[in-house]
Amino acid sequence: MIEYCVLALLRDGERYGFELVRTLSEVPGMVTSEGTLYPLLSRLRRAGVVETSWRESPSGPPRRYYRLTSSGRAVLEAFSGEWASFRDAVDHFLNQEKAA
Amino acid sequence: MNDSSLHPLARDYLKRLKKGAANLPRVRRTELIEEIESHLSEALPAGASEAEALNVLERLGEPGQIVAEAESGSKEALEARAGVRESLAVGLLLFGGLLFVVGWFVGLHLLWSSRIWTTRDKLIGALLVPGGLLPALVFAGAGIQTCQGGFEPATRTHPARSVTHCTSEISPTLRAVMIVVFVALIVLPIFSAVYLSHRAGKPRVAAS
Repeated sequence: MIEYCVLALLRDGERYGFELVRTLSEVPGMVTSEGTLYPLLSRLRRAGVVETSWRESPSGPPRRYYRLTSSGRAVLEAFSGEWASFRDAVDHFLNQEKAA
Repeated sequence: MNDSSLHPLARDYLKRLKKGAANLPRVRRTELIEEIESHLSEALPAGASEAEALNVLERLGEPGQIVAEAESGSKEALEARAGVRESLAVGLLLFGGLLFVVGWFVGLHLLWSSRIWTTRDKLIGALLVPGGLLPALVFAGAGIQTCQGGFEPATRTHPARSVTHCTSEISPTLRAVMIVVFVALIVLPIFSAVYLSHRAGKPRVAAS
């Protein structure tokens, strides 16, 4: 699931690794170890859904920026639709349970 | 990057990471170490206190854990790739109609249950000439039947001869239209198969 959160974070523009990792880890329950997100980013890059480029940083060493590829955008779009119907279906049963 | 700009505890951490990642493919190892190194330099100024440093390292997780995640990546199904199922689906969608028609429906089922294609791909695969090449064959058969060959027995006036009876006169326009339809019935299923193969070849993130 975190893969899709990463893609969603990149929807509006590129971000560098540390920025992505910190944003994700600030949501409680999302990430157990920040370090394991980097192999995940690398997998997304190899899957062709994100691409990276090096950019100078205003302070310190250059940063590796991640951005969505067109294939990543398509994957995210498809997932958003599937997720919405999945979430509704689960809600349907959870609320039924509550009502009973 | 110059290691000396890092906190001593971060330097020690990196050393352990490099050791642990020794068995990773070289490119991925370099990528991982670069990213963790840059994470450490962002999160941990050289002058940070020991408590701050320990906190950052704890959030980062043990090097072994990170390396394990990097190693598991290649085995994981995250990069869903087209397999036998997808090849079979494309093949059956194209030729399955000729296998007692039912083959096409098997192909349709495989197409629909695959995680590789998006809904739009699936609709194109299913609706761009349902039956694959079968309609072209049926159409060609129907075209031939409008002109039936026959054999006229010998009569008193002429010997036996073969004749061709066309049930209706086909105008050149109609003939042209029929040829276009026939070609379309051949080309569209092939196009659809090529399209599906192309889309299946694109790596994507599997629903997990």
